[in-house]
Amino acid sequence: MNMVTQLVVILGTIGVVMVTVLLHVAYLTYLERKFLGWMQDRMGPMEVGYHGLLQPIADGLKLFMKEDIIPSGANKIIFSLAPILSLIPALIGFAVIPWGDGKLTLFGVTFRPFVTDLNIGILYLLALSSVGAYGILLGGWASNSKYSLLGGLRSAAQVISYELALGMSLVGVLLLAGSLSLVKIAQAQAGGFWHWYAFALPFPQIVALVLYGIAAVAETNRLPFDLPEAESELVAGFFTEYSGMRFAFFFLAEYANMILVSCIAAIVFLGGWHAPFPFLDFVPGIVWFLLKVYVFLFFFFWIRATLPRLRYDQLMTFGWKVMLPLVLANILITSVAAYFWMR
Amino acid sequence: MSLSAALNKVFFGEIVKGLGLTFRHMFEKSVTQQYPHTKPRLPDGYRGIMSLLRYDDGTERCVGCALCEIACPSGVIKVVSAEEPGRPLNRFAETYTFDVTRCVFCGFCVDACPVDALAMTKEYEWASENKRTLFLDKEQLLAIGDRNFPNRGKKPAYLGSIEGDWYVERVKAKSYPEERETA
Repeated sequence: MNMVTQLVVILGTIGVVMVTVLLHVAYLTYLERKFLGWMQDRMGPMEVGYHGLLQPIADGLKLFMKEDIIPSGANKIIFSLAPILSLIPALIGFAVIPWGDGKLTLFGVTFRPFVTDLNIGILYLLALSSVGAYGILLGGWASNSKYSLLGGLRSAAQVISYELALGMSLVGVLLLAGSLSLVKIAQAQAGGFWHWYAFALPFPQIVALVLYGIAAVAETNRLPFDLPEAESELVAGFFTEYSGMRFAFFFLAEYANMILVSCIAAIVFLGGWHAPFPFLDFVPGIVWFLLKVYVFLFFFFWIRATLPRLRYDQLMTFGWKVMLPLVLANILITSVAAYFWMR
Repeated sequence: MSLSAALNKVFFGEIVKGLGLTFRHMFEKSVTQQYPHTKPRLPDGYRGIMSLLRYDDGTERCVGCALCEIACPSGVIKVVSAEEPGRPLNRFAETYTFDVTRCVFCGFCVDACPVDALAMTKEYEWASENKRTLFLDKEQLLAIGDRNFPNRGKKPAYLGSIEGDWYVERVKAKSYPEERETA
């Protein structure tokens, strides 16, 4: 009996997290269009519902209704598999994201605001983000189209280059926290914003935060690093040949990945669910957490509205010759500082 | 590289500048026209669909001379003229067809017309799912003219100017021709 209730609770948590994430993903597209519109002196979606609030639902319905086309020269199995391979890692990454603190015990059953607390949480997330690149690469290859193949190749090269900087920028925090579990990292940052790892002694990880932000934008294939789907060069890059639900899967994966990297940034650098000042602790932790995530997501839109796309060699040069030395220097200084601080 | 240039590069100076610009624009009024909900303000010389006009007594102005047909660069006007029954000296357009699908809205027909029977209106919402509805005959063109020029004044913007006075005089002279009253 106990095991059955536990299973029900776990499945229920997973269901709630999935629905929450998918709703946020849907309305993230709306938010992005609105913010982009405002920044370009436009209005964004205005027609469907009040100020276009039902636009994501209309878009979703449209994508469901669209014809599902498989190009005649495509490898059918891999072509169908690729969107799933892209979406699933983006979604199961949310298993280790802690949305808040504490636990709620009702009728002897314990509810927690996260699906699970893996002791290798960050490693798990980094592994999944690399698996997600397989979806893009295989989708690009299986489409049997030049543009798709080029998009897939670019994605592979980009992910390899920026995955390094992304992982390395987190290492400084791991050194200071002494744990890979996202819950433990967030718990270590309690008590005001001067305890958040972005600003905390012995060595503030603010540089790592900026580098993580840049690497995260590149990792999620967003502008100005959206070379895998550069529409002015490659039509739509790796999903040129995709339509209907398969296209929607890639789309969802992109936005889910955006939320995922924003969640990691909020937890690792900005204290997760902790309030910036101790006297603000009465506000529920999930509010602070979502606030931080949305500030980070706003940066995604803001950068997209501001910067043009990089040339491909600039992207590679920046990744290997600027980002990598900087994150390595950050690790070096952090470890020296941590060594003397802890003595 | 000077120190300030180096610092500018390290702290993404130019990018921050650009970010500031986009952030400022977020709070600026949008330039979007919500078109079907708010109509645009058309300029004075706007040339919409062409129309046929009448005199004040309701008779058609068109005398069927087919100069508009000759002036039309895309050949969308077809005029067949005929004698007015009982008045062999007066002619009128028996059929007058106008193909909007190929009209370029140049207004040459209006310039060519010797009796000012044609005018460009400011109507532009003529999108249709059926192309045949865009092939207009004389009655339809007269109806467009009636609803756009209810007071028969063709160019109200000119009133008050020398050109406009001359124009009004001419319209008046033609609107109430003595022959018509007596014939």
